[in-house]
Amino acid sequence: MSGKATAKVGGGRRAVAAETGLPIDHDSLLPMPESLAELLPGSLPRGTVAVVSGARSLEVSLVAAVTAEGGHVAIVGRPDLGLLAAVEMGADLSRIAVVAHPGADPVEVAAVLMDGMDLVVLGLGGRSVPASRARALVARARQRGCTLLVADGDWQGASTRLEARVSGYEIAGGRDGVPTPGCGRISRVRLAMRARGRSVRPVRAVGG
Amino acid sequence: MDWPAVAAAATIGVAPTMPIAVTLANRVVACSAAARAVGVRRGLRRREAQARCPELHVVAADPARDARHFERVTAAVDDLVPRAEVLRPGLSVLPVRGAARYFGSEQAAAEKLVDAVAAAGTECQVGIADQLPTAVFAARPGRIVEPGQDAVFLSGLSIRQLAAEPSLAPADRENLTDLLWRMGIRTVGQFAELPRGDVASRFGADAVTAHRIACGEPGRPPSGRDAEDELDAVMNCDPPIDRVDAAAFAGRSLASVLHRSLLAAGVGCTRLAIHAETTNGQELERVWRCAEPLTEDATADRVRWQLDGWLNRRHHQDRPCAPISVLRLRPVEVVSAEALQLPLWGGLGEEDRLRARRALVRVQGLLGPDAVKVPILSGGRSPIERITFIPLGDEPVPAANPDQPWPGQLPEPSPTVLLDDPVEVLDVDGNPVRVTARGLFTADPVRLEAPGCTGRLSWWAGPWPVDERWWDAAAEARSGRAARAQVLVGSGATARALLLCYRQRRWYLEGAYE
Repeated sequence: MSGKATAKVGGGRRAVAAETGLPIDHDSLLPMPESLAELLPGSLPRGTVAVVSGARSLEVSLVAAVTAEGGHVAIVGRPDLGLLAAVEMGADLSRIAVVAHPGADPVEVAAVLMDGMDLVVLGLGGRSVPASRARALVARARQRGCTLLVADGDWQGASTRLEARVSGYEIAGGRDGVPTPGCGRISRVRLAMRARGRSVRPVRAVGG
Repeated sequence: MDWPAVAAAATIGVAPTMPIAVTLANRVVACSAAARAVGVRRGLRRREAQARCPELHVVAADPARDARHFERVTAAVDDLVPRAEVLRPGLSVLPVRGAARYFGSEQAAAEKLVDAVAAAGTECQVGIADQLPTAVFAARPGRIVEPGQDAVFLSGLSIRQLAAEPSLAPADRENLTDLLWRMGIRTVGQFAELPRGDVASRFGADAVTAHRIACGEPGRPPSGRDAEDELDAVMNCDPPIDRVDAAAFAGRSLASVLHRSLLAAGVGCTRLAIHAETTNGQELERVWRCAEPLTEDATADRVRWQLDGWLNRRHHQDRPCAPISVLRLRPVEVVSAEALQLPLWGGLGEEDRLRARRALVRVQGLLGPDAVKVPILSGGRSPIERITFIPLGDEPVPAANPDQPWPGQLPEPSPTVLLDDPVEVLDVDGNPVRVTARGLFTADPVRLEAPGCTGRLSWWAGPWPVDERWWDAAAEARSGRAARAQVLVGSGATARALLLCYRQRRWYLEGAYE
């Protein structure tokens, strides 16, 4: 089954939250950006592990959504994440902490941070976490109610996999709506997102 | 030197200008200038002193009396220049740098000090030098030694001076100076000329100390921090700690000891040094900074986390090689207790915030205090400048004021990936594109060469010149003209939007929109 939805990031504009009408207990769900919540209802419960890949706006918008709702976020091993973009999406910087260089074992640092955070974004730097270690952390995440978002690496047995891809750019100030070299600026990034996992039906969304 | 005589004069109610001698075990230990003028000397028997000066007032020595009377002088000095350290009653040292800057010169500061002490009813002499012992010697003639001239000033002094000041020399220093005198070494300068190795091998450890003083080498400078030593909480761990649960227990009791002493002193601690010694003498220390004063629980947690961090380091060779035997908490920086204002009931979401903070502080224990940073908005034009990262616990001060207008700031959206890689921007002939003094491209950019995203530009915009720091000639020369541009590499579904920055006559990839 596949559904279509719009997902736009940037430009300071946000889609109107859609009433899904689905019987979902909102306390058990992680706050999501509206574009994503509409697209993937119930795809990211608290206390799960999700692997994200592709365009970085996905992580940034999740960080923004969680902190805007009053949650605390730690970003581990992602020194190049643009937090200013998160601010533009509504993030509250005072609820974000950054461990840019977590040393030899970023997973250990993430495990400690799970105690107090609502969302931990963990950049693995291309590494993959073996299933035995992953199981211990998944149990910990479930117990603490902290969602672990793994980026730039593989996590055996993650319950959700989110993928985002840039499907196009909108350029403001072109002549007659056609991008003209030398004119205008990038005003919006269009994303296509896809989610797979145990808890979600395979959903594809194409931005437009 | 004469302070016991001055204090004695004040006690028996005679003027300090009268001949006075203070005696201990029937020997003169201190005398006033008037007594010295008629031949009374230190070390003279009391009877003989009285014979030389029949109208001499003889008083028994009493260190408590000396200290009591000196308190008044210390208070007067403290009013003028804080953080004076008392070496002994009659002699106090203070760092002169701040005072000299405040009063205009060292000379002026010295005059102010003499006036302040005179107002307290006593005479004093001031000596200023680079090193503490030199300053003490300089105080006798009331000299101000030029910076770097310590050894020159000392070289003219008699070798016996090295033993004269009881607060700088142990009791048996006199044996050393006596021996040196008999060997023909009569001045401090001659002593300083001897090689350090020879001094150490012939005369022992104390002679090395004396030699350091004679050479004017730095020792321990006076500092206000040392005054807080009495706030330290020390615990001798028996049995030595090698497990985290034992460490947690020790941390809790040590924290309560520390907080009792902090409470008694009426201060809160904002920087805490945790110091551990292992059974075979290895020393570990880490200083914890906190924006708000530590509570007892917070202290206990930090001790536990720190010991946890030390005992469970990932690499075996980094761990302490023996169990911890001595644990010491030292408040490095204290604030008065009024600064500590805990809310009566936790605010909204306060518990979550504290929980998050504790987790972050634990990571600081594992990786070091600078590893965990919190972002705050700052002023600036590039996306990197507009976020300042502050180590957790430090005061969040942005690098620049974000409320200023910052003309030329890039509009939304900002790039979600921040980079700083040199790239090549080429024109249609393959020549590099630059930015002219008028803020224009030398030619239309056509191609971008960068690791990972080389390709034709399907769109570009800019350059938007950055007119920053033109008033600062050095910064201007360093960065030269700067400009930013947005480009779209590739076309259709594989296009990537990038932010480029031109500076130091090169293009840099500053961010990617994705």
